[in-house]
Amino acid sequence: MKFNEILSIRGNFLIKATPFLIFISSIVVFNGMVDDWGRLSGSIDNLFVFIRESLWPPDWSVIEPQAYPICTAYPLIDFTCSTAWIGLLETLKIAFVSTVFGMILSLPISLLAARNLNPWWLSYSSRFILAAFRSLPSIIWAIFFVILVGFGPLSGVLAMTVYTIGYLGKLQYEAIEGMNKTPLYAAEAMGLSRFETAFQVVIPESANDLISQAIFMFEYNFRHGTVIGIVGAGGIGYYINLYLKFLQYDKVIAYLIIIFIVVLLIDMISIFARSFFTEEGDMPKPSWFHVILPASMIKK
Amino acid sequence: MTGDSKEIEVYRNPIVRLLDVEIGYKKTEPLVKIPNLEIFPGEIVAIAGPSGVGKTTLLRTIAGLVRPISGSVEVCGAVSPSKPSKGILGYVPQRLGLIRHTSVMHNVMIGANAGHNKSLWSILPSSLAKKYASEAINSMGLSDKLREPIRRLSGGQQRRVATARTLAQRPSLIMADEFLSELDEDTMDMVLTAVTQYVRQSGAALLVVEHDVSRAKSMADRLLVIDDGRVNPFITEATAMEVKI
Repeated sequence: MKFNEILSIRGNFLIKATPFLIFISSIVVFNGMVDDWGRLSGSIDNLFVFIRESLWPPDWSVIEPQAYPICTAYPLIDFTCSTAWIGLLETLKIAFVSTVFGMILSLPISLLAARNLNPWWLSYSSRFILAAFRSLPSIIWAIFFVILVGFGPLSGVLAMTVYTIGYLGKLQYEAIEGMNKTPLYAAEAMGLSRFETAFQVVIPESANDLISQAIFMFEYNFRHGTVIGIVGAGGIGYYINLYLKFLQYDKVIAYLIIIFIVVLLIDMISIFARSFFTEEGDMPKPSWFHVILPASMIKK
Repeated sequence: MTGDSKEIEVYRNPIVRLLDVEIGYKKTEPLVKIPNLEIFPGEIVAIAGPSGVGKTTLLRTIAGLVRPISGSVEVCGAVSPSKPSKGILGYVPQRLGLIRHTSVMHNVMIGANAGHNKSLWSILPSSLAKKYASEAINSMGLSDKLREPIRRLSGGQQRRVATARTLAQRPSLIMADEFLSELDEDTMDMVLTAVTQYVRQSGAALLVVEHDVSRAKSMADRLLVIDDGRVNPFITEATAMEVKI
């Protein structure tokens, strides 16, 4: 057997063994971090005690109108005066505004960050800005803006917008870099400027990806918007934090169930909306029925 | 489509002039050597040769997308690495370079805007650009597909859109890479007639890459055959035969 053949066989073996080796190494690293595995033994019992004594049943008074200010809504929709509704709506507003602002601000930076459109120095300096925005999680940005502008949704919007610029910008420049190169060649041969190429070729060509990412970002911002309220940046998180401090876990679990249902709904709307902006645009659009139910149930 | 020589820049000197040019992607391995090549206004030149010999690379070098390894490439008065001004050069790439999600009109308007709007910040179409775009689309027989997204068109229709984009631009030099493939005989005649008519009447030049030598001969005034051969991998005066028809 020749030396090259032996090398090739070893190479193939290494490629196949790599996932297994990565898994084993993760176990070894984990084991190194944990000093006492025995602590796991009582965890299930602790969970059941916590659920039975503190979490369950949820206290649904959170969807009842607040005592003050006095609710003027019709009795049928008086839940709109509840802390759950007010907090949820504020979180949705923060997510919506910060996604729109974040997208508007991130798109020009991501156009500059794309390596297929710009010289390396411009591309890497733009990536540096995006990475700086992304390096801190949204909750840290929220603390920062609460210090700067005080409590409330303003600091929430600013925090989520900055994080959106960093996160969405990365997704956008990766989509732009992945676009088909031939339209760029045609534009370059025609003598189009970078500005014209960006607006006439790059954005239309990658529009589906950009829209799909913006919808995903809205969904992401809503989920994270529930957290930033904990540090006083507005939204439903404010109420969760309030009841956590008073150890009223039954109210906290009610909020968490509401957030879970809304996240699920937004996720379904997001899947449905994004299906309009995929390459398979000519495929039949999924019905609501298809989005909600698994394929096996639809067949039946 | 009627050409109007006043509306495009007409060059009395050769539109393309290549002198002692070596092209390719690696300095040490030039694909093609061209001692001398000149293309004049109103002329149709076809480049033929086996697959992988460097026909497309030659076209891309003239289009300014690839730098020559050595030698001088002059296009419409601009010597490489400088490029001709906006809209002077029209390019139909082999893979067309269309924007798949947008309409036929949007794609053709990109060419029309490049040719008729000299501002480098132009994103709003001028009325002149719209007129030339409509004319070009009509000449390609696509007037019923104006609003159709590119991804819903057949391969042949997409090729006609790419050609219409270049015609709407009304450039001084059209470079087309296998722009007649995937077309049936009648459509091919229609496309070729429109392009040829434009070239003859406007004084522009057409440089076309065509793997089918008989088709290349039938359309071109001059045929440049690139043949790498087995003995000498590079084009020299002995291996590159320039055939006058």
